[in-house]
Amino acid sequence: MIFESCSEIRGYFSDYIDGACPAEAIHSVRYHLAHCGACTSELERYEALQTELQGLFRQQVPPDLALRLRVQMSQELHRNVFQRFLVRLENMFRPVLFPSVAGSLVALICIVLMLGAGTPQASNIPDVPFVTPPRIQVLPPVNLDAGAQPLVLVTYVNAQGRVTKYKIISGQETPGLMQRLDQMMYYSLFQPATSFGQPTSGQVVLSFRTITVRG
Amino acid sequence: MNTIRSIGVALDQTAPVVSDEAALVAELKAGSEEAFAYLLAIYQNPLFNLISHMMAEHGEAADVLQNVLIKILRGIRQFTGRSSLKTWIYRIAVHEASNHRRSWRRRLLHEPFSMDDEALHLKVQSSIYRSGRETPYSVYEKAECQAEVKRALADLAEPYRAVVVLREIEGLSYDEIAEVLGVAEGTVKSRLRRGREALKRKLAARLSRSI
Repeated sequence: MIFESCSEIRGYFSDYIDGACPAEAIHSVRYHLAHCGACTSELERYEALQTELQGLFRQQVPPDLALRLRVQMSQELHRNVFQRFLVRLENMFRPVLFPSVAGSLVALICIVLMLGAGTPQASNIPDVPFVTPPRIQVLPPVNLDAGAQPLVLVTYVNAQGRVTKYKIISGQETPGLMQRLDQMMYYSLFQPATSFGQPTSGQVVLSFRTITVRG
Repeated sequence: MNTIRSIGVALDQTAPVVSDEAALVAELKAGSEEAFAYLLAIYQNPLFNLISHMMAEHGEAADVLQNVLIKILRGIRQFTGRSSLKTWIYRIAVHEASNHRRSWRRRLLHEPFSMDDEALHLKVQSSIYRSGRETPYSVYEKAECQAEVKRALADLAEPYRAVVVLREIEGLSYDEIAEVLGVAEGTVKSRLRRGREALKRKLAARLSRSI
């Protein structure tokens, strides 16, 4: 490549200092520079300019701006209302999350321990029912002959297990039957009714039926 | 020809190298906060630097950077991967800075005075002073020099300024600049040539002293 004038070669200086000059132009530029002091000075000015520009103070983001950028980025990423709500919720609960979980666990452990310690021991004493009805202990063998209908009566038993009175609810009330019933009740002995384990008066319903045995 | 070349730009320019960009993009598209935090950590300083040099008013760079990040966040799902993530992000930043600069010029009529240039000047001085064992005079001289270069850069017409900043300050290659600006590589070369020419004229006295 042959250059006609200095102004023509100077048009390549910009590319030349960047190393972007075509290979054939580089040789021509170098040849010209070896013989032209004015173009050499001009190239030095280009290089001095490049040095000045590259040596310019590099701006750094101030710390407060860096923080603002981070906040802005975070807000931008959570523009969605629901996401923003979740983030706020998370931010609100995060400081109390560990203390509250730890507190709840400790409270739970304490409750379990207290309940374990307060559980009553199993008693060896057998359970006593609150109330028991009177029960027959001795019933004298008296032939009542109640007839075809069954005889049902309510018997009032005192705390000593003796019959104090009785009342026929169903069945015939003949004088003979009444006499035999009086005899039976007089000699009968009951286990008295109990209330909280203590003997007390009570009632018992007795039912008699005539049973005929063939043979 | 024995000029000393600055290496002050090397550190941040190597930062945006991501081993698996596709995985990062997938994470970003999924809305991962960690991925965005990673992106922010990598790009916030280069973008802030780029925007600061693109804008005439340094105080506006923070607002522009915030807008750029919002656009990245909202637009990442539309990123198709035809260009690299880096050039896509830089494209957003350059467009946003250009738009903001245009609107700022309109607002400038109502804001006759700003302290930000002076504040930046002091900041540059203090950063230079911290960086080495230099005398207050040399620090002041460097700060003055940087302020002059910045003023010249700020006065440059926008198409040229964008190319010069992307090439000289951000260290992008020609094809990356072409992708960022959406122009042909030849256009990048010609704009860069004209931009350098214009800067060389503006800084002629200083450059002559430094040779």
